[in-house]
Amino acid sequence: MRILLVDNADSFTRNLEHLLLATVSGADVGVIPYVGLAEADPADFDLVVISPGPGRPEDYPAYARVFEVGRPVLGVCLGMQIINQWRGGRTAMLPGCIHGRAEVIDWNGQRRQVARYHSLHVTEAGRGLAVLARNDAGVIMALGSRTHGLLGYQFHPESFMTPEGGIFVVHALDFLGLR
Amino acid sequence: MPSTFSACVERRVFDALAAELVRETDNCLDQGADVLLSVPGHPAATTPFIGAGRGDELVFSAETTPEEVREFCFGSPGAAFGFVSYTYGMLLRGVTSAKPLDFPLGHLRKYAATAGYDEATGTVTMSGEARAMDGLRKRLARIERNPPDADWPLPLSAGPQEGPELSLPRKEYEAGVRETLARIRAGDVYQLNLSTRFRVKRPELDPAGFFLNLWSRRPAPFYAWFASGTRRVVSTSPERFLRVRGKEVLSQPIKGTLRLEDGENAQGLAARLTGSAKEDAELSMIVDLIRNDISAHCEVGSVRVAAHKSVFQVDRLLQMYSDVSGVLRTDRDCLDLFFEAFPGGSVTGCPKASAMAVIDQLEPHSRGVYCGSMLLVRGERDMDSSVAIRTAVCDMQTGILEFWAGSGIVVDSDPASEYQETMAKADKFLTPEAP
Repeated sequence: MRILLVDNADSFTRNLEHLLLATVSGADVGVIPYVGLAEADPADFDLVVISPGPGRPEDYPAYARVFEVGRPVLGVCLGMQIINQWRGGRTAMLPGCIHGRAEVIDWNGQRRQVARYHSLHVTEAGRGLAVLARNDAGVIMALGSRTHGLLGYQFHPESFMTPEGGIFVVHALDFLGLR
Repeated sequence: MPSTFSACVERRVFDALAAELVRETDNCLDQGADVLLSVPGHPAATTPFIGAGRGDELVFSAETTPEEVREFCFGSPGAAFGFVSYTYGMLLRGVTSAKPLDFPLGHLRKYAATAGYDEATGTVTMSGEARAMDGLRKRLARIERNPPDADWPLPLSAGPQEGPELSLPRKEYEAGVRETLARIRAGDVYQLNLSTRFRVKRPELDPAGFFLNLWSRRPAPFYAWFASGTRRVVSTSPERFLRVRGKEVLSQPIKGTLRLEDGENAQGLAARLTGSAKEDAELSMIVDLIRNDISAHCEVGSVRVAAHKSVFQVDRLLQMYSDVSGVLRTDRDCLDLFFEAFPGGSVTGCPKASAMAVIDQLEPHSRGVYCGSMLLVRGERDMDSSVAIRTAVCDMQTGILEFWAGSGIVVDSDPASEYQETMAKADKFLTPEAP
């Protein structure tokens, strides 16, 4: 499987790359910086992954061409907010923002520990996006659309504080019809 | 012809040899030595090193490339030792700054002879040119015959002292913390390390005595003495940046500090440190960052975290750290790893590039060697390096001693507490005479 991982100048992108390589058998992961996105053709890939990163989703307008191509997209943290923004959703500052903390959330009928790093959160899901998970305080932790091939995780499956990060990658492949 | 020599000696004999050579550095730059001392048994302990008799040098400019550093280190035999500045790290990470470059961006040296001490076997091993080695051997034999008294370090000179002058005094430092908090809430950074520079005029200061006195009373795992032009770098860091031994990679980032007051229970205080949600978040974030930074040159699936939230005591401070390890890819060397991960995430914040850009806006000073690294490269897969915190630079020409201290700011940081933590870290150089 050919995966394009777009790096939004984050310090966790390689953790995500290694998680993808370790979880997806036979994966070929190409990592490009956000500024190099114009030179890549998302149509050449089976999956596009949008990394976490600093700033707000509106700071990253170049993703429009990724969505227009229509390949399956997985977004992590800022990546999820970018997907949501593209579908007309809303993002706002998270009161008492949270960075470097682990917490347990409900996930497909089980309790799973995940790592959180975010100053912003999705306050209104975009068109056609279903909220797939919230934390105990009601903050959206995952959203997506099978129809549109979009999935976002607000938490960080690549963190060492998410002990079973691989299951979220496997889930993404299933959800996006890649397995 | 290069040769080698090994002998069993007591550790204090090796340290005394290092001390003698350090003292001579100030008398004559062609004599003396650069040294790296360490504390046996400490989690971040490193192999002590002496580099004597100056060989080739590489003084970094903005144009120096990692490839040139690689050629310098690996192109000829012998260990290379010196520093790489934080400012050079800014260039590597593409962070531009308008601040003047008034200090070499790095300085590495090779030596006529080197000596290392293996704590496990009690063996000193020397290598280098026969004549230079001979000199070292004779000195070692003389010291062994007449071991120094326990109080060999020089007393500190109590001459006049002006200052300190802080680049970010209390009010400005706390304002910097508040600005950092605003940047965190806006999502620009997740964590940021903010520092202040201290400047003290001490024309009478004997830097060698200063270094040796501190070493004898407040030892730490990475004590480095390095002569660079008219400056003497006195680095007393407790923190390992990156070690490579064969294929094994180890980083030991420190986050979380508590001052241990007289009579206080260290165990109770350590529990307070490990139980703090704020300190936990601070360290965990940097552990994830270090995992990222070493992953570029480590085997997929090899990067691990162990001993998370361990605590050790140094400089009357309790510090929390973790072990982040990995397996170096067979087609990579230690400098690939070093330059990809440099500067250490514990002194930048996260994400690294945006944190470094904000740091440059908030700090009026240059960090120079501070928050860079003291680096010892013995071979392509044999390296150890510190994060150059608790580090001072003494200019022999101007008599000015500069040092820096800082703290990691996270969303629930309190400006006044962060300033206090910064002052606690600066205490080693602010009041070096204190017991």
